[in-house]
Amino acid sequence: MFKNKIFKRILILIGVIILIALGSVFYMFNMPHRNVSEAKTDYQFQASALVNEYLKDQDYANKKYLDEEGDSKIIEVSGTIATIDKDFNDQLVILLKNKEDKAGVSCTFSLDQKIDAGQFKTGDKISVKGVIRSGAAYDDDLEMYENVILEECSLINTRP
Amino acid sequence: MKNKILTLALIFTVGLTAFAQSTGKIKTQKTHFKFYSHTAVEDIEANNYKAIGALDKTTGDVIFSVPMQSFEFEKAKMQQHYNSPKFLDTKKYPKSKFVGRITNLNEVNFNKDGEYQAMVEGKMTIHGKTQNIKENATLSVNGNNIQLKTKFNLKLADYGIAFKNGKPSTNIAKVIEISAVAEY
Repeated sequence: MFKNKIFKRILILIGVIILIALGSVFYMFNMPHRNVSEAKTDYQFQASALVNEYLKDQDYANKKYLDEEGDSKIIEVSGTIATIDKDFNDQLVILLKNKEDKAGVSCTFSLDQKIDAGQFKTGDKISVKGVIRSGAAYDDDLEMYENVILEECSLINTRP
Repeated sequence: MKNKILTLALIFTVGLTAFAQSTGKIKTQKTHFKFYSHTAVEDIEANNYKAIGALDKTTGDVIFSVPMQSFEFEKAKMQQHYNSPKFLDTKKYPKSKFVGRITNLNEVNFNKDGEYQAMVEGKMTIHGKTQNIKENATLSVNGNNIQLKTKFNLKLADYGIAFKNGKPSTNIAKVIEISAVAEY
């Protein structure tokens, strides 16, 4: 009788462990993507400052801002709109770049942000939050400067 | 004296303009790179819209620079695996690059609308490893608009990306399909 009780308890315990294990595998498999617009901002910059940090030492900047698993730093950047485009995924792409800078910060807005491109014009100053994907550098083959790339961007504010 | 300076200035300006035109490099930021892996267990695909490239109409140079962390997967966990040091190690190798040339440039007329089959040959660098590749691409010329399209297979082991055991070895194909579109 006593043995039976222990046996029953062990069975229940094993059952619970299996359920937890299955649950965590299921959660891992279906884990949602990080919500960049709602996550905490890691760094705040003027577009120029971020670009120049990359142009000064690309390797150092990559170590500082890129994450091993792709969950790289979330950055808030302020600057002047140089170009407004759409990419092949119909996402709005705004380049923040000062006239005197060699490169800028290219910000791609998530489709779910539903931002109307019509509200912007070149020369406007805006602040944008997004995840950094790659840095600025001069490319010898392309013969041009590559911009810093931020994706999953959202708008922080617009100056009236 | 004044005339001489003016003439010199004129020669200089004309020379600069000619130089600027001779490098017929056109740039693109409107691209779509996709990779697709098929196994009996599952199909995996990832999309990237952030590559940039250049095409030189006079020399046939074709260049692409692809920010590796911009590949987006349906499942977050897959994206983390892909980026991690075990696989593409995108923190260490944030960009992939292709530097090549159209080898049958005489069969492509950038001044006449139409579709042209181009042979592209060059060096592909992924995960810090460089391989020579030779693939076909379709160039569509429509006025000033040029579109390049290609689809080819890539053996992961060629770039030092190997899965010896565990789930990835059964769920990720050894050869994956890359497709790319660029609008210049």
